[in-house]
Amino acid sequence: MASDAVAGRAVGARLVDPATRRAAFNKLLIYAVLVFGAVVSVLPFLYTVSVSLMNLTEATGGRALPTTPQWSNYVEAWHDAQFSLYFMNSVKITLISVGGALVFCALAAYAFAQMEFPGKSFLFTLLLSTLMLPEAITWVPNFITVSWLGRISPVPWLNNWPSLTIPFMASAFGIFLLRQFFQQIPRELWDSAQIDGSGHLRYLLRVVLPLSSAAVMTLVLFGFVGAWNALAWPILVTTTPDWRPISYGLLSFLDEAGALLHLQMAGAIITMLPIVVLYFFTQRHFIEGIATTGLKG
Amino acid sequence: MAAGCFHFAGGIQAKRSTHGAFVDARLRLHYTMGGKSDVGAVALKIWESGLHVDSTATRPAAFGSELGQQARAAPSWYRGRQGRRLREMLLAYSFLAPAFIIIGLFGLFPLAFAAYESTLRGLNKIVGSYDGLGNYVKAIDNLIYILTFWIAAALIYYAARTIAQAIREHREEQTDALRWVLPGFLTAIGAALFARFVFILLPEMLLIPSKLRGQANTQEAFRSLVVETWWLPKVQVALWVAVVLLAAGAAWGLHVNRRTARDSREPVYFMPFFSAGIGLTGGAALLWLTWQEINAAYAEALEEGVGLEIWSQIVTISAGFLLLLVAWGLWESAGQRSSNTGMALRLVGAVALMAGAWVLIAELPRVVNAGDEDWWNGLMATVFYVMGTVPIQLGLALILAALLFQKIRGQTLFRVLYFLPYVAPFVGTAAVFRIIFSNRPTAPLNGLLDLFGAEPLLWLSEPAGIIEMITGGRFDLGPILSGPSLALVAIMLYGIWTYVGFDTVIFLAGLGAIPNELYEVADIDGAGGWAQFRHVTLPLLSPTIYFLSLYAVIGTFKAFNHIFVLREAAALGTTDTASIVIFQAFKRDTRYGYASALAILLLIIIMVITLVNNRIASRRVFYG
Repeated sequence: MASDAVAGRAVGARLVDPATRRAAFNKLLIYAVLVFGAVVSVLPFLYTVSVSLMNLTEATGGRALPTTPQWSNYVEAWHDAQFSLYFMNSVKITLISVGGALVFCALAAYAFAQMEFPGKSFLFTLLLSTLMLPEAITWVPNFITVSWLGRISPVPWLNNWPSLTIPFMASAFGIFLLRQFFQQIPRELWDSAQIDGSGHLRYLLRVVLPLSSAAVMTLVLFGFVGAWNALAWPILVTTTPDWRPISYGLLSFLDEAGALLHLQMAGAIITMLPIVVLYFFTQRHFIEGIATTGLKG
Repeated sequence: MAAGCFHFAGGIQAKRSTHGAFVDARLRLHYTMGGKSDVGAVALKIWESGLHVDSTATRPAAFGSELGQQARAAPSWYRGRQGRRLREMLLAYSFLAPAFIIIGLFGLFPLAFAAYESTLRGLNKIVGSYDGLGNYVKAIDNLIYILTFWIAAALIYYAARTIAQAIREHREEQTDALRWVLPGFLTAIGAALFARFVFILLPEMLLIPSKLRGQANTQEAFRSLVVETWWLPKVQVALWVAVVLLAAGAAWGLHVNRRTARDSREPVYFMPFFSAGIGLTGGAALLWLTWQEINAAYAEALEEGVGLEIWSQIVTISAGFLLLLVAWGLWESAGQRSSNTGMALRLVGAVALMAGAWVLIAELPRVVNAGDEDWWNGLMATVFYVMGTVPIQLGLALILAALLFQKIRGQTLFRVLYFLPYVAPFVGTAAVFRIIFSNRPTAPLNGLLDLFGAEPLLWLSEPAGIIEMITGGRFDLGPILSGPSLALVAIMLYGIWTYVGFDTVIFLAGLGAIPNELYEVADIDGAGGWAQFRHVTLPLLSPTIYFLSLYAVIGTFKAFNHIFVLREAAALGTTDTASIVIFQAFKRDTRYGYASALAILLLIIIMVITLVNNRIASRRVFYG
């Protein structure tokens, strides 16, 4: 408000009037703090890019910038760390688990938001209470469950896709997120859909899901990031690289590469790039999804 | 499975057509009887109340036959309002089924499984012999008996309070709460028996691999053993007893619910009695377990000829905690009294506080020393981590959000950049910080130190506490006072760097929700920038601050990924927080039972933090 008043005055008066000068100074200070914060946020990423383009002596020598960019580092890291395998693994795991999560969470969220059945509040409370459970408590039991299931099902579970995807196909968070959006859809729409002869499933597919595309997008993004970040569980259930996802792949490469800092950083960039690119394209969904769900938490 | 799917699709089909017809009929009723509103209203009422449409006389014959045909096509329970509710219920359950099967198997069942697993002895084995609370005693020594005893007491107290409240409402407000007693308790006992069934089935199922030892280890053999185990008489009996009780309780509850008149606004008392029943049975089971375990421990000690002081420790430590609670209660209530009584209460409270604290300080360290050093160090590291990150992180985020909120040019760009560290994959960013905080003299931070003429530091490989380092090791400070190790501080800095952007975004959303009028009013009242922030922004932002601090504290207790990547062997475990200790007990040491016990303890800690937070928040947080 103060700045609007400032803008209305003559440019010449601005430098003279002490009040405006103080306002301008404040503005400058604010920008300085904000820019400093932004630099701190981004600098580690720039440093990563810089080191990933150095040769070994430059990387260990503590230089800030490479003399000539070594693009071959990326090729080397990609081959040394089997990144093509890990990359594809993570893509497959993400597609399967996010696809499953979308179907199962949407169905459950719809039932909670738009249907009446006995035990609704009890089941919802039960669902939300799982949010409090630390992941650590599921490690031992789920590992045993998964290895046990692998012995009775036609597909092995350990070192294979089921153990990495099926446990993540439904989450209390996803159901909660979608339910919040589904609930905002006015009841009248359902009434008119009924007049058109539509049942619940068709209404969900044709009306509810398209209307809540923002929530669906958020769920997909979170599922993507979650699958990409998964570390503890993949370490427990994969002993061979066949289905090892990219985070675990990078971690094992960090240990193997040892002192080859430039290759480590190239690997880090390869791992981060898909998520960061995705983030820059969909940052509005990301941030708004976080803001709306976080607030209601 | 395939048959189920087919049935499911058929249900939707039938539902759709009958639904459509009903709504159609209703609209046409409206349309034809638009002039005569009273008749239309009667017809609608009859339709709403679920009577068969073709038994009413007020309906024009023209589409009566159509509806009649519609109705005849389906069996009687499938028609009318009852049928519609039943169909909607079945459809809703089938919508929920897949998600609940997955969450139940991988999210809820692990709780029972971990509880069972934690009572097993044995290294590198899934099935060990029953060891009672042995794993817990290894971790936190005699404190576990105090813990189980007080959890049991709290459960029973909760149950008693819930029942008392229902009875009070029953008397005062003339509600018929007590008829919910039997259905609620029956279902609760059924649920407890179901838990018992799980605990009977689990060990049998887990024994299968060892039964197969020496035989052809084929999938067929395994499967046939699974089927065999499932049909064991004791498993089946336990299952059916539980199912019958659960079904009886649920059916009774539905019956009571149906008898309650729809329009009476009487609350449903099922949940209070159900949870009270669960609290009572759970509390009784825990008490029994504690009693058994203490007796067993005494018997063992008698055999070995050593003295035990479980009871005295239970009494002293419990008394210490009780005194602390009393002191807190007095302190709180003192604020509401007139000044003299308030002063007296505060004095008594302070004395109680000191007495309680003294008892605890005298007794607790002895117990702690007898427990698992790794675990206590892990908890200490976690507490350091919480205290070192959460306030700084929230403070920085609040400043950034408040500044960003001032109609800044490029607000979106700043927000996107701040949020980047949180979004970028943890392993990638942690890999970068491993190099930034590297102990090489040429690493970025050591290079910076070199610019100022300081000696390079070991950073992530430094096990010494920072306060110890600052004081130069001149004093022997002990593990707590020497503070978090420099390695842990480096990890904290990484944690702050990651989460500030996340907190900023949520603060921005919170700030956006504060109505602008309040600031205009404050402007008119002559409140300056700081006064506005202090008296308008902060109170209205308190739900967000509360949410974020709880989220951050619990998140720290769960934190795993980045700490696992950043931990160095040279830091001698000073960076291992609770989750890391559990992971190492499981993965590195393959002590399944012990890891489960530690995880259960972690869960108890998180639950206590949540409960305490809720209590405080209900008083201190201002929900506009």
